[in-house]
Amino acid sequence: MHQVVVPELGEGIAKVTVACWHCRAGDRVRAGQEVAEVATDKAVFNVETEKAGTVQRLLVREGDEVAVGEAILVIE
Amino acid sequence: MDIQDCGWIAYPEAYERQKALVEKVRKGREDIVLLCEHPAVVTCGRLTDQRNILVDRRELSRRGVEVYAVDRGGDVTAHGPGQLVIYPIMDLRRHGKDLRGFLRKLEQVAIDLLREFDIVAKRSLGRTGVWVGQKKIVSIGVGVRKWIAFHGLALNVNTDLSVFSVIRPCGLDVTMTSMREILQRPVSMRDVKKQLAGCLERAFGCPPPPRDAGESYASSGRA
Repeated sequence: MHQVVVPELGEGIAKVTVACWHCRAGDRVRAGQEVAEVATDKAVFNVETEKAGTVQRLLVREGDEVAVGEAILVIE
Repeated sequence: MDIQDCGWIAYPEAYERQKALVEKVRKGREDIVLLCEHPAVVTCGRLTDQRNILVDRRELSRRGVEVYAVDRGGDVTAHGPGQLVIYPIMDLRRHGKDLRGFLRKLEQVAIDLLREFDIVAKRSLGRTGVWVGQKKIVSIGVGVRKWIAFHGLALNVNTDLSVFSVIRPCGLDVTMTSMREILQRPVSMRDVKKQLAGCLERAFGCPPPPRDAGESYASSGRA
């Protein structure tokens, strides 16, 4: 099992908003594939999965606020 | 850093050009900044509240104003003739992997540029963008893919400000202004582009452009 977490985005950014998902439960994803966009201030960052697999669960919804380092997606 | 003047270019075409350059920069190309002017268009960032578009889509279409949903931060904005749109396609791994720091540098570029035209502009705490008094002159919204930044900033040079009447810019109750409105005269887009090269170099830590850089605005050693 692999968890995709919100990466460090630089100084002063502790939380981001999930702007949109690029995958759904059941999707096959490749390593390096963009799976979600998270937003902070006026920037949108594409979050990738480091590992390939099948999307098991989205842990948060679009519009949710999540902390840097928090898991947003489970891949198996 | 490479600066490429695209001149008058449709929004979707400039977007495609950015996407292609993101890939090239990711593979090691030097940073590049595109300079554009777009026909009137409304774009919605990822966090757009649709209520901030004040005019019916069909009416906008009748006026020739297309609406695009795009993968940048921020709410709704408008582009149009007389506005200089600046797209820095930059590898943020070379600039500290710091999203907020990058936004602050983009603001600094605009503040420095405006100072060259004797306009005192500033940041507004908690609100990305650049302001002159209570009015907003620069809107900023970026996207980042594999740490390569794209989209960027829009500076109102001689912008016909009525283009903003169809939206609540950035979802704020704010009045937009332009260099022309402040200086009470039209401003040469060419002069603005020339000054911009030096301001970009200062903010992003590259050596200053040679004095004989000529018309290319390019500032690195590229022939």
